[in-house]
Amino acid sequence: MNLGSVKRYFSSALIITELELRKIKHDQSQIWIRLIQPALWLCVYGLTMSKISGLTSFIPKGLTYLQFMTPGVLAQSALFVAIFFGITVVWERDLGLLGKLLSTPAPRSSIVLGKALSAGVRGIFQAIAIIILALILRIDIILSPLSVLGVFVITILLSMCFACLSMALASIFKTRERMMGIGQAITMPLFFASSAIYPISMMPGWLHPIAVVNPLTYVVDAMRDLLATGNLSSLPVDMLAIVLATLFFLILASRGFRRMVS
Amino acid sequence: MEEKAVAVLNLSKLYPRVKAVDGVSFTVDKGEIFGLLGPNGAGKTTIIRILLTLINLSSGKVFLFDVDVTKNSEKVRKMCGYVPQDVSADGDLTAYENILIYAKLYGMPGKERKTRIQEVLGYLDLTERANDMVKTFSGGMMRRLEIAQAMVNRPKVLFLDEPSIGLDPNARRIIWVLIKKLRDEFGTTIFLTTHDMNEADVLCDRIGIMNKGHLAVLGTPAQLKSTVGGDVISINSNNPACTLKVKELGYSIISDSSDGHCDIVVSNGENLIPQLLDSLKASEVQVESVSLKKPTLDDVFLKYTGARIEGEEGSFAETRRTRKAFQRFTK
Repeated sequence: MNLGSVKRYFSSALIITELELRKIKHDQSQIWIRLIQPALWLCVYGLTMSKISGLTSFIPKGLTYLQFMTPGVLAQSALFVAIFFGITVVWERDLGLLGKLLSTPAPRSSIVLGKALSAGVRGIFQAIAIIILALILRIDIILSPLSVLGVFVITILLSMCFACLSMALASIFKTRERMMGIGQAITMPLFFASSAIYPISMMPGWLHPIAVVNPLTYVVDAMRDLLATGNLSSLPVDMLAIVLATLFFLILASRGFRRMVS
Repeated sequence: MEEKAVAVLNLSKLYPRVKAVDGVSFTVDKGEIFGLLGPNGAGKTTIIRILLTLINLSSGKVFLFDVDVTKNSEKVRKMCGYVPQDVSADGDLTAYENILIYAKLYGMPGKERKTRIQEVLGYLDLTERANDMVKTFSGGMMRRLEIAQAMVNRPKVLFLDEPSIGLDPNARRIIWVLIKKLRDEFGTTIFLTTHDMNEADVLCDRIGIMNKGHLAVLGTPAQLKSTVGGDVISINSNNPACTLKVKELGYSIISDSSDGHCDIVVSNGENLIPQLLDSLKASEVQVESVSLKKPTLDDVFLKYTGARIEGEEGSFAETRRTRKAFQRFTK
């Protein structure tokens, strides 16, 4: 691989992302609709749970439950957007959009990367909205340039990671109906087997090993360090785990992508 | 040997349960409009997809301008433009954006891009609607946009999979004129598939008839039609001597009756009629009416495949897709 082809690879990925961004620009309502669910988690679930007095003894010292939970809700809402990305790809395959994209000189995996990046962009909208919502609810989160930037980077990686997982699954299951079921079947386990809304120490013992291999655990952990505790000692390990998981699913999705049209 | 735009040698594509393409060979010249004609499921689209490197071939060799599609797929894709059978323009973008994205994906430099897009929009008569959302477009406009997307890169070969499916007769004629214009003005080689006899006849320089994965026959529309016999001229006269006179003039009569009606087989019937009438008039035979029946590609198809194309049942998925495309076009 020479420099020219590397450049072409990333530029085609960015063109695919541009395509998705232009679609969002034409129809912004999709962004607002997707904010309903995280708003409900914070305003209803979060505010209710924070009234349970015993709960704070399980979460890191000095944090309120809402502080503890906000990074979890952020991660979860980006996950929910990304995990159904495979459905879009199946839909585009059925329409014939995908076949035409694949007939261009753009390298196949750069199309996957571009789609994953656009999931990342959608994730960023979620992140911004949830941070604003947290400010409205007067949840005390750390908003230094570093923490916000860090959260954005992690959100993009998280969205890419699960969008790639979803696209990889789409190349196996191939129909929208199955992908709906699959999306629902895996989001909840991913969500519950992470520390998004309760600490891992509270989980039943058998769930711990699953939480350890769950990329969402590391995502939530990193976001919580950045937004709530400010203790960044485990951040490098978390980031490494997230990057590795993203790469793994990116490769998996790229390999499956060709099967989508044949 | 002169460089061919497309060369297919003994191509086969096996799927687990069917042989979609079975030992097909043909070549397409530069600047030619070549059509693969056949019912749904005959293997036409499979061949296009192999040529575009979208799917792998099982055996055989395929070259585009001497480039092996299995060895250098990126180079092959750079030379091609593709208009799939299904609706492939993105309804959630404007016409301009649809073309822009493809211009970028083909690596067109930024300086050229704007002029080229304007050019291609103008060429396909879409300038006024350039900034409208594509979901508001009619079927014919959608097709024109898709051709614009495929042409913006000035491909050497343009692949059109069922270019006029689901279009009304008027939109269909516009597309036909355009396709011819593309070839005439830019020298683009055009490779299309169709199950419409008329379309193949009107558009193509040469036609390959596909049936069940095989290439049944290949030739120009005129050649193919002459293989099913020549033109039939029917002559009606009140003069019972007519048949005799026609026979004397040296025409081969295939059916006659004593009341002055006869059918003859000739080639180039339309050129022959005036001459024939003059000869009969000179022999003082009054002719009441003359009709000419030219063989159609449908006759050719019938001869080589033993079935009429309309009667062929597509698979459920194919039918559903065609109908869906049609619905989208007509909504």
